[in-house]
Amino acid sequence: MAQDSTPSGALVYEARGLKKIFDGGSVAALRGVDFQVWEGEFVAIVGPSGCGKSTLLQLLGSLDRPSEGSLTYRGQSLADLRDPSAYRAAEIGFVFQAFHLLPTFTVAENVQIPMFEGPLSRGERVARARELLHEVGLEHRLDHFPSELSGGERQRVAIARSLANNPSVLLADEPTGNLDSENAAHIVELLLQLHRDRHTTLILVTHDLTIAALAARTLRMKDGRIVHSPPDPVAA
Amino acid sequence: MTFFTIVFRGLIRRPVRTGLTLLGISIGIAAVVALVGMAWGYEKSIGRQLDVIGIDMVVSNMSGGLLPKVFDESLQGRVAAFPHVAEVTPTLMLMLSVEEAPLIMVSGREWGSFTWKMLRVLDGRIPKDATERAVVLGRLAAEGLGKKVGDTVQIEAEELQVVGIVDGQAVVENGAIILALPLLQEVTGNEGKVNFLNIRLTKDTTKPEVARLRDQIKEIFPEGRALEASEVVGTSQGFRIARAMSWSTALLAIIVGVLGVMNTMLMTVFERTHEIGILLAVGWKRQRIIWMVLCESALLGLLGGITGVALGAAGLKILESTTTMRGLLEPDLSPKLLLTSIAIAVVVGVISGLYPGWRSSRLSPSRALQA
Ligand SMILES: Nc1ncnc2c1ncn2[C@@H]1O[C@H](COP(=O)(O)OP(=O)(O)OP(=O)(O)O)[C@@H](O)[C@H]1O
Ligand SMILES: [Mg+2]
Repeated sequence: MAQDSTPSGALVYEARGLKKIFDGGSVAALRGVDFQVWEGEFVAIVGPSGCGKSTLLQLLGSLDRPSEGSLTYRGQSLADLRDPSAYRAAEIGFVFQAFHLLPTFTVAENVQIPMFEGPLSRGERVARARELLHEVGLEHRLDHFPSELSGGERQRVAIARSLANNPSVLLADEPTGNLDSENAAHIVELLLQLHRDRHTTLILVTHDLTIAALAARTLRMKDGRIVHSPPDPVAA
Repeated sequence: MTFFTIVFRGLIRRPVRTGLTLLGISIGIAAVVALVGMAWGYEKSIGRQLDVIGIDMVVSNMSGGLLPKVFDESLQGRVAAFPHVAEVTPTLMLMLSVEEAPLIMVSGREWGSFTWKMLRVLDGRIPKDATERAVVLGRLAAEGLGKKVGDTVQIEAEELQVVGIVDGQAVVENGAIILALPLLQEVTGNEGKVNFLNIRLTKDTTKPEVARLRDQIKEIFPEGRALEASEVVGTSQGFRIARAMSWSTALLAIIVGVLGVMNTMLMTVFERTHEIGILLAVGWKRQRIIWMVLCESALLGLLGGITGVALGAAGLKILESTTTMRGLLEPDLSPKLLLTSIAIAVVVGVISGLYPGWRSSRLSPSRALQA
C-alpha cells in the first residue's frame, strides 16, 4: 500500500487503473483512473456531461463495483468489502443533485433513517436529527414533508441526513445542480463549513467552476479519464 | 420513529391497494374460520351427545356415506352376550329431506332403551309405545320445521303425529326427529336394519377388557368396527369428509391469499425501487430491507387475519341464527380456532413476503437510485 510512503495525513482513497464498464462492454464510463485523496481534503471533480463523474462517485461510495483496477479506502479494497452497506453507514455521507429524500417521511424522519444502522436509541435518534437540522437551519420544519419544502431546503435536509452517522467522507454529486444561484451559494457554504468544522473529507462533483475554485484541488475529467490533476498536497 | 413506523408507513401509503389485499386475506381467513368452526362444532356436539346419553361404545359399518351403511339388527343379541356389556340398543340414523328441511337427522331408536330416557319432555309426551305412529321433535327441529304438538310431519310417504317436543341436551339431538325404531324401519323400507349399536358397559370395565370386547365384536362383524365414544367422531366417514373438505377449502383460500399478498408486495417492491436505492445509499443493510418487506407482508397478514376472524365469526353467528340452519349447526368458535386462523394469516403474510423481499435485496444500489 502507498500508505507507508505518506509523510503526513492519512490516505483516504487511492485508485489505480480504475475502470467501469457498463452493458457488457459497450459503455466504458471509466477508462483507467488514478488518483489519491487525503484525510480532510476538499476535492472537486469537474468535466463534461457523461465523462464518468457520477460513476466515479458511486464507486467511491461502493454503490457499485469497479470492473477493473483497484480502489482502496484507508488501505482496504472496496471491491472486497463483505458488507458495503456497513461501509456506507459508518463512513460515507451522500448528497445528490436530486436530493433523494423519502417522500412519505417527514424532514425529521428522513434524517433519522440512516441512524437505524447505528447504535442510537429512539430518543437519541430524535434528538440527533433535531440537532443536525438545527445545524442546517431547518429546526422549524421538522414535521414537514419534503414536498412542502423548497429545493434549497430539501438539499439542506439531505445534507443533515448525510451527517446522521457522523461520516468521515462526504460524497456530493452536483448538490447545487437543481438550485438557483442564491440557494446554491448557501448549500456550498454549508458544505464548506461542515468540511472545516468536522474535518470531513469532501469530494464534490460540479459543473460550476466558481464552486470548484473553492476546493483545494480540482480533478478534471474527460471521457472516463482524469485529464488534469494538480499535484497532491502531500505528494513528494 | 421506530422501524415499525417505517413498516406501517409502507402499508398506509397505498390505502386502496392495502385495503383490497386485506379484504382478500380476510375473506380467505373468514372461510377458514367458518368451515373449520362448523366441522369442529359438529364433532363436539356429537361427542357431547354420546356423553349425555351415556354411550360408551358404538358399533357400526366401516363403509357408508355421510352416515354408515345399515346392517342386520340381529347383531344386537350376539353383542349383548359378551362380558361387560350392560346394555346394547340399536338405532337407525338417517339424514332425510323432510318437508321444508333439506336435510334433517331422523333417529329411530329401540323402544324403552336408555337412549329415550335422556330426553326431557318440553311439551306433550313421549309416544305411548313402539307401535304408536308418532314422533317427538328435538326443540330445534320443531322450530326449524315450524311444528308443534298435534301437527303431523311427513316422513317419506308417511304422515306421522307429533306428540312431543323434547330437549336432548345436545344440538344433534335437538335438531333431530326421534321415533321408535320399528316405525322408522317400516316407513323407510329398512326392515330389520340398523346402522348403530350403542353399548353401555358395566361400571369399572378396565381398558384391557374394553380392548378384548372390541376384538370379540370384530370377530363376529368383520366389516364393522367398535369405537369408544371418544373415537367415534374422529373416525366417522362423514366427519372425515367434512373435515377434509373444510381444510381443503381453507387451503385453497390460503393459496389464493398468498398469491394476492405476494402480488401486492411485489408491486410495492417494484414501485419503491428508487426508495430502496436511497435506503441502500444511506447505509441500510440488505437484511434490513428484506426484513422491512417481510414485516410489511406479515403485518398485512396479521391485520387480514384479525378482520377475517371477526368476519368469519360474525358470519357463523348469523348463519347459526337463521332458521334453516338451526339444529344442524353449533359452531365451535374456540380461542384455539381463532388464534390458529390468525397465525395462518401471519404465516401467509410471511410466505408471501419471501420472494418480494428476496427481489428487493437483489437490487443494485446504483441502478435502484437511477430508477
Ligand atoms: N447504469 C448504467 N448503465 C449503462 N451506462 C451507464 C450507466 N451509468 C452510467 N452510464 C454511462 O456511463 C457514462 C458516464 O456516466 P456518468 O453518469 O458517470 O456521467 P457524469 O459525468 O456524471 O455525467 P453528468 O454530468 O451528465 O451527470 C455515460 O455515458 C452514461 O451513459
Ligand atoms: Mg452525473
